[in-house]
Amino acid sequence: MTGDAVPGVYFDGRRSRDYPATLTLGEQGVTLSVPDLGLTRVWSAADVSVDPAIPGVRRVVKFSDGGRYETAQDAALSAWERHTGRNRALSGVRWLESRWTAALGALVLAVLAVAAFIAFGLPALAQQAAAVTPRSVLAAFDRETLKVLSSGDYVGPTRLSAERQAQLHREFRDVAVWAGGGYPYTLLLRNGEPGGEGSGIGANAFALPGGTVVMTDQLVALARSDRELMGVLAHETGHVTHRHGLAGVYQGLGLTLVSTVLTGDLVSASTFAAAVPAALLRGGYSRAAETQADEVAGHYMLQRYASTRPLQDILARLESQDGDESPSVFDLLRSHPGTPQRIEHLKAMQRAALP
Amino acid sequence: MTDLPAATPPTPADDPTGSPYGRHVGLRPALDAAGTPATPTVTEYPVSFTGRADEYFRIWIVNVALTIVTLGVYLPWARVRTRQYFYGHVWVDGQNFEYRANPVALLRGYVLVGTLFLGYTLSTQFQKYWIAVPLLLAYVLLYPWLVRQSLRFQAANTVHRGLRFRFSGTVKAAYVAYGAANILASIGGIFALPWAWFMQRRYQLDHVEYGTARGHFRGDVAPFYVIAVTAVGIGIGLAIAVALPVTAVLFGTSALDSGSLDDLKTTGLLAGIIAAYVAFILLYTVLWQYVRAATMAYVLNHAELGGVVRTRATFRPWRLVWIGVTNALATVVTLGLATPWAAIRRTKYVMEGVQVRAIAPLDDFAAGSAERPSALGEAATELLDIQVGF
Repeated sequence: MTGDAVPGVYFDGRRSRDYPATLTLGEQGVTLSVPDLGLTRVWSAADVSVDPAIPGVRRVVKFSDGGRYETAQDAALSAWERHTGRNRALSGVRWLESRWTAALGALVLAVLAVAAFIAFGLPALAQQAAAVTPRSVLAAFDRETLKVLSSGDYVGPTRLSAERQAQLHREFRDVAVWAGGGYPYTLLLRNGEPGGEGSGIGANAFALPGGTVVMTDQLVALARSDRELMGVLAHETGHVTHRHGLAGVYQGLGLTLVSTVLTGDLVSASTFAAAVPAALLRGGYSRAAETQADEVAGHYMLQRYASTRPLQDILARLESQDGDESPSVFDLLRSHPGTPQRIEHLKAMQRAALP
Repeated sequence: MTDLPAATPPTPADDPTGSPYGRHVGLRPALDAAGTPATPTVTEYPVSFTGRADEYFRIWIVNVALTIVTLGVYLPWARVRTRQYFYGHVWVDGQNFEYRANPVALLRGYVLVGTLFLGYTLSTQFQKYWIAVPLLLAYVLLYPWLVRQSLRFQAANTVHRGLRFRFSGTVKAAYVAYGAANILASIGGIFALPWAWFMQRRYQLDHVEYGTARGHFRGDVAPFYVIAVTAVGIGIGLAIAVALPVTAVLFGTSALDSGSLDDLKTTGLLAGIIAAYVAFILLYTVLWQYVRAATMAYVLNHAELGGVVRTRATFRPWRLVWIGVTNALATVVTLGLATPWAAIRRTKYVMEGVQVRAIAPLDDFAAGSAERPSALGEAATELLDIQVGF
């Protein structure tokens, strides 16, 4: 360990000239010898710093006067480094870097960590963040979204009669009380085809994070009973109480962050390439949210009407109205689970509740 | 992140104060006995790059895993280690470069910039514009200053032969090159953008110092216009070449307008969309790589240091475009696993296509004053994706 003179080069830190030099490594310090300069100097351990090793690069020892010694003889310096307890952490990193088994382990770990984060971590984090987001933010969200909706040709004023509106509002109050959570639930009835047949959002219902539920005249017309409509509205309150809307926003943000970390930048070809997988993942999250909201609606239906049947019926009718598309690649991109699966899920709930 | 050690223009210079070791050649060519300037002998030093893909792959994957395990805290160490690997494997005249940034300083910068960036993203998401707008404004106003900080940080942490590089550009000049020039470029588009590139390269090179020697950019603005016009021309040409078959496919499928062929129509449409998407990414990559490669070659061919050292680029820009495009494809196909191989491949081609020509020995430079700029600008350029360097 001590006594060996390790050959290398010396720079005095004031000129770019290199001098052949040797360094003798000892317990208490090192001895630098530069024959061309007639220099022999003993440095105490405190006045010397050793840079962590980089594979294939010369090792560097720096002296407190700005001088430096570089050597390709890594083994001797590494032994001295270990002996004097320098750079422990980064020597460990270097140990990992020099082994293919460690590299393979790191690869597996990285893949698992990213997959686990996307599958469990991100939804849980987003849900947490959504749960602690103040109500005032939710209300602002609702206001802004409604502004956008009314400015575009998505919805128009409802054409339902005043009595029909009052009746639906009354029935919704029951759903709202049942859903609870202290949200200021508001039902907004709107015309889903303001520009005539086929325009706008059509037969539809959706919930905004703050508790605003929008339902279109076309959906009301499609229903054969108000039970069906209340099932849909209960589904929407499920989105509100589980804060799905906001969680979706956070998940989108998280996915952007993940792809930025993985691809290393914000705007480039690789970010564009990552956009499609990100969209697929987002669809996956919203499928999970739909199932959860169906669960809520199913409980409401069973409690009130002892059957999930009305909700199944209107789902089936919505599906057949949208046209019977055969399964295609687009299913992957669809944010909702397929209707047959949803209906099957509601049937299963009913079977479980009524033996 | 690791395309090449951008801050290492391997362009040392000379020392006007004279060498005590008798090996010095002065700033001006020495006069011979007859009083006429002696013709200086030009020595050409090739640049070599000794990094290896297998070696760097292990560094890279360990960096990724440690960054994940430490929830990002290791990131500055990972960045520094990566740079140290790339700089350390660039050799000129028997000596290599060194990158020596302090990861702790970088971490502080990352935390600060990351927090501000997250604050901005969240406040736009929730439309809290009274937070977002001042943050954005501050960023725009500080941008030239941040670039200058970054250049100072990169230069000061680059070492060759025991001497540091330095960047002495003033804040005022940064506001001209990165503030005024970018504003004009955003108004004037293609007519002003090449001028902005020129201003920025000149700002970068004219203020690089190696020891007491000063860098100089001998280039002109016109070639930047040539590069831009070439890129636009190629872009239009390739867009037409790509758009024609895609449109043909779309027309072909809509011609099959019989109800029973709905599925086929959907498939055709989907194929068209995917083809257009891939074509767009490829076109973007080709153009961007071309502008980068051609600019880099031009800049390297017109850079000098201290009047005694010049650089020369012998790499071919189109070959570099090919490398860039195939690298991008390989990276996507391997889901990112080819990233280290791609970085080594590109750096090796660029570095080994650079020569350093000097009329003075490279070991006759003397140290300038030393200073340590903060890591804030560096962290900002990495997190906020500011393009500096070549």
